[in-house]
This record gives sequence, structure tokens and C-alpha cells, in this order.
Amino acid sequence: MQTLNYRFPAQEAASHRVHIGIVASGDLEILLEPPAAGKPPDGVVVRVRTSVNGFDTVWHDVLKRFFTRTPLAGRWELNDFGATPGVVNLRLRQASEAAAAASGPTS
Amino acid sequence: MTDSLLLAGLTWQELLARRSFIELDALGRATALLDPGSPRVLVGPFDRLESPWLVPQGITPQADDGTVIARGSVDGHPAVIASIEQGFQGGGTGEVSGAKISQALLLAAAGSRAGTPTAAVILFETGGVRLQEANLGLNAVAEICSAVLDLRPLAPVIGMVAGTVGSFGGMSIAAGLCTRLIVTPQARIGLNGPAVIEQEGGIDEFDSSDHALIWAVDGGEQRHAIGLADDLVADDADLLRAALIDAINAGVAEPGRHRSQRLDVLASRLATLDPATPLDPRDLRALWGARYEPAPVPPGDAASEHTAGEPPSTRGRTWLHALSEAAAPEPIIPSVLSATTDTARYLAVVPDPENRFYRAREGQVGVTEALALAQAIRDLVEADKDVQQKRAVIAVVDLPSQAYGRYEEMAGLHQAMAASTDAYHAARIAGHPIVAIVVGTALSGGFLTHGLQANQILALDDPGVEIHAMHKAAAARITLRTVDELDELAKTIAPLSYRVEDWAKLGFCDGLLKVENADAPTPQDVTAVGSAIAGAVQLARGRPVDLSNRLDSDAAVTTRRASRAVRDLLARQWNPAR
Repeated sequence: MQTLNYRFPAQEAASHRVHIGIVASGDLEILLEPPAAGKPPDGVVVRVRTSVNGFDTVWHDVLKRFFTRTPLAGRWELNDFGATPGVVNLRLRQASEAAAAASGPTS
Repeated sequence: MTDSLLLAGLTWQELLARRSFIELDALGRATALLDPGSPRVLVGPFDRLESPWLVPQGITPQADDGTVIARGSVDGHPAVIASIEQGFQGGGTGEVSGAKISQALLLAAAGSRAGTPTAAVILFETGGVRLQEANLGLNAVAEICSAVLDLRPLAPVIGMVAGTVGSFGGMSIAAGLCTRLIVTPQARIGLNGPAVIEQEGGIDEFDSSDHALIWAVDGGEQRHAIGLADDLVADDADLLRAALIDAINAGVAEPGRHRSQRLDVLASRLATLDPATPLDPRDLRALWGARYEPAPVPPGDAASEHTAGEPPSTRGRTWLHALSEAAAPEPIIPSVLSATTDTARYLAVVPDPENRFYRAREGQVGVTEALALAQAIRDLVEADKDVQQKRAVIAVVDLPSQAYGRYEEMAGLHQAMAASTDAYHAARIAGHPIVAIVVGTALSGGFLTHGLQANQILALDDPGVEIHAMHKAAAARITLRTVDELDELAKTIAPLSYRVEDWAKLGFCDGLLKVENADAPTPQDVTAVGSAIAGAVQLARGRPVDLSNRLDSDAAVTTRRASRAVRDLLARQWNPAR
């Protein structure tokens, strides 16, 4: 397992926290927490824990591309169990869409 | 499976239009069963009570440890659902996920006692104990079983196995304790999974690549057809919810009517079985029937007991003789010995080289052993029912494991083990002090059935004492590691260790006893162990009859911090914030 940390600039802030996905084979879970209330957005802070070592560059590129298009500030935690870049992208989009939706989840 | 079976009563149009339950994740399943708008997730992902044991092993954890606890209502009845995420670590029960389930059950029981009967629903989708947390997972299963039994008289505990992982390992014992069990045709229920049986007993015993055999033995349709599951429902969220509503409306079962209490049925069923006469799983349907009622005893003596020769000497037999002093041990069956004194009944499972269940000849707990243990304990409870000072039950533990066999799985080993688990729990609740003394090996389901329901657990401090969730070779196969890798990890990850001194640090060891000779105890050894047992009996008498001491011991405060955090947070979140 490898832990990777990244930061990207972002102006918009997620409105509420979001949990998406499962740490299942070929999948990942994402926990997104908006910046603390009353504080200015401090960009995107990402922590990736992945079961597959040695893909730092791929992770960086996938995340950079996503957050360039979707600059949603907050703390993003990704717990990965071997998801491909396509699946990672899908889960990131799911999380950002859920964060933009009007109401938060029950949990 | 045939096409018609998959339909399970649906037309093709209905099948296509249905909302699949199996395809939902753990949260989706819980939400589909609870009344709309009612679910409230407790100890969810943002509480971040993940497993503390996975990261040090290089395994990515999941924020909620793969188990969703959701409170809400089902058709207006207060309910709590424990939904296991099958995608995460095969649904394996770890320290945190296990503690979430047992604490939810205990809180439901407390709520029920306080006037709000709260039904519990467990969505079993699990390979059993999470082997990366081995001994902590094993104990977690014991605590879950105990909590199911605590709640069951107060509010219904409904088990549901939808698939596709199914229910295997110790958690199937919990399934066997439920008030009612709902399955789909895609469900499987068994104690030992096919790969483990093949590893332990060879490919002739069980070919784990033979899917037809697996489904014929473990499949939901088969379990329903032989009365080990109550409802067979198609994979449809609405139909499963309807079945759940029906089960909850039926309320608690009458005392004595739970499957795990029906020793008469289990005994009659086992009397019809002899592995020497080959039997197809389908034959069981005719032989036993779908109702869990006594099976007609066949003519002849299919189950005749043999007269054993000189029994092999083992630690279990030796210590049982030594500890029970003057009382002569009597065989309940040749492989289960009982010795009763004025103050206690001592029980041990011992090898029987002529056991007709050939996979249980080396002292494993198999179907007949589980039944015999249950009978011996129930008899004592009955005999002492009007007595103020209940006699103790001393489980002398020296068993290689549960029996890994095809016949055992066909017969429903999990259900037999549920019977002895239930009996131990019933004795404990009735006020009989239960003390386990591990004198040799105590592995896996064998220990769950005989020992882990005790108020107090003692073990000899001896290299020959080994307590674990699975044999090394099988554990290596299931976790895709080599035995060397397992040994290396066990040096730093306490619950993985096979050494008794590491096991003793996990919080549920009430005494590690030094002896001079564990194989042939000296008189001093016997006196020392005997007085330690007497001390444990005294302690048990003065303490709560539940298993809460396992979380409050000094060792638990250090090692089981995560379990304690789950207990505290779940209790705080149980009622909605005002």
C-alpha cells in the first residue's frame, strides 16, 4: 500500500460532505469534506491510499486533469483497491456531482 | 442453477422489471429495506473508525470498515440493520466491523428492555472471520453470537443472505441463531467454504472448482428445502422487504422453538446420516423435509454407536481426567466426554478414531460433537433449574478445529454449532459460571463452539497451546500469502500471532497459567490449574453474565481501543441528537 498526497488550486468549495464508492477490487471509495465553515477555500487537498504501488505519476496526472476541470476545494480522501484511471475518474465525477447537489446525504 | 430456480416464482417480465437487491452496495441494501426517509447511518465513514490492523499489513482500509449500521423503521417498527459490504475484504468480520454489529445488537436489546422493542436485521454477506485480524475477528464473532442471543427473546433478529458472497465461517453460526432467515436462490450458507475444505481435506473431500456441488450443498434453495432457511425469495428489493416486514410482524419466536434450540430435530436428523452410505445433497430434501421438525428415524441401525478400543491419549482427555478428580468421565458420545462433580460439569471434545463422521476423528468439533455438547449443557441447566447456586461448566479445550467435510456442510455444520453456542449462552445467562481452559489447540469454529462463549477464559502458558482463526496453510491460501509471510507479519500484528502469549494480550484472556508439563501434568500442575479455575468460577459468579468484561479488561483497554471506540460512539449516536 502506498500513501500519496497532492494539492491543487481551486476556487469553488463543496457545499457538503460526500461519501462515494467501496474499497472493492477494481474500485475505490472517496470521502470529500468541504473546507471548514467561514474559512476561505484552501484549494484541493488529496490523500490517496492505494493498494497498488508505483503509480504515482499516473495518479498525479489523473487527479490534475480532473481538478483542472473541476476545481472543487475541500479535503479529498481516496481509498483505492486497484481502480483503473477510468474508474477513478468516474468516482471523482460522481463525488463532485453529489457535492453540487442540493441536499446532503443522511449520514 | 436452473432458469426456473433463478426466477423463484417470478415471470420473466417481473424478473426484468425488478429492482435487484444483490446489485446494491451495503448502504443501498439497508436503505432498500428500511422505510423511506427513516434510515440514519451510525458510525459512518466520516467517523473514520477504520480497522487499525490493515494499514500495517499494507492493505487499504475502508472508512466504515465495510459494515453499515443503519437505524430506522420497517413498516413502522423500530429496527436496526447491520449490512455487510461484500466487496470489501470479502465481507470478512474484523475487529471494528464485528464490534459495530455486536454493539448494535446490544443497544437494540437495551432499547427493547427500556420499552422500545427494536428488531435487528443482519445482512450476512461474509466469508467469515477476516483472517488479517484473525483472533480479534474470531472473538468478534463470538460476541456477535452472544448479542444475537441476548436480543432474540426481546425482539426478532432477522438474518438475510442475498448473495453473491453468501454466508460462511463463524458468522453462519450467527445466521443459525436468528429468529428467521431469509435467503435468495443466489445465497449460499455454509460453515467451511469450499476452498478451505479442499485445502484441509483434499480434492476428493470437496472439489472447490465444482460449482454444481457447491450450490447443491450450500445454495439458498437447498438450505430452504431442508429447513435451514425460512423464506426463499427472488432477488428483488421489494419482495425481500415484504418478506422482512412479514418476519418482523411475526415477532419473537416462542422460547424453545428456535432452530438452534431444537436439539430433538438435530438429533433425529443426524441419526439418519452415515457418511459410509453415500448420499446426494438432493436426497436430504426427502429425508429431512423443509420443515424443521424431527426426521423419521430409518429402520435398521444406520447410526449405531461402536464400542471404542483404547482411546488415544490427548491433552484434552488427560486434563479432563485430572481436573474432574474423582468424577469418572462419561462419554456423551465417544468423542465428547463429560465429568460431573458436585460443583461443575467438565466437558471435552476428544479424538474418536472410529467416528462415523470421518472428518471429525482427530478431535474436531463436527455435527455430532456440537449436538452432544449442547445436550450435556442443556441437561445441566435443566437439572439445576431450581437450584440457587448453579454448577459451573468447565470447557476443557484441546481441539484441532471444526470438522472440514462435505457431509458436515451438507448436514449444516453451522446449524449444529449454533446449537452448542446457544446452549453455552443459555447456561451463562441462567447463572452457570462458564470457564474455558485451553490446554492444547483451540482453532477457529471449534473454539467458537466450545470455549468462546465462556465468562472466563484461561489458557496454559505452553508452546503447545495455540489459539487461532484458521490453520496456517489454509489461512495462507485464503489471504494469498505464503506461510513465511504470515509468520513474518505475526511478529508485529498481535491478532495474527499463533503464540499464546500474544493471544493473551488481546483482552479476553483471564489467566495464562504456567505449568511444568502440559502433556502429563504433575500433581502441582493440576492443583494450580484447578485453583485457577475455582478462582475464575468465583469471579464469574460476581460479574455480569454478558461478555462485557472482554472489553473492559486491562489488555482490552490497550489492544482493543478500536472496539471500545465503536462501543462508545455507537451508544452516543444511537438516539438522534436533539
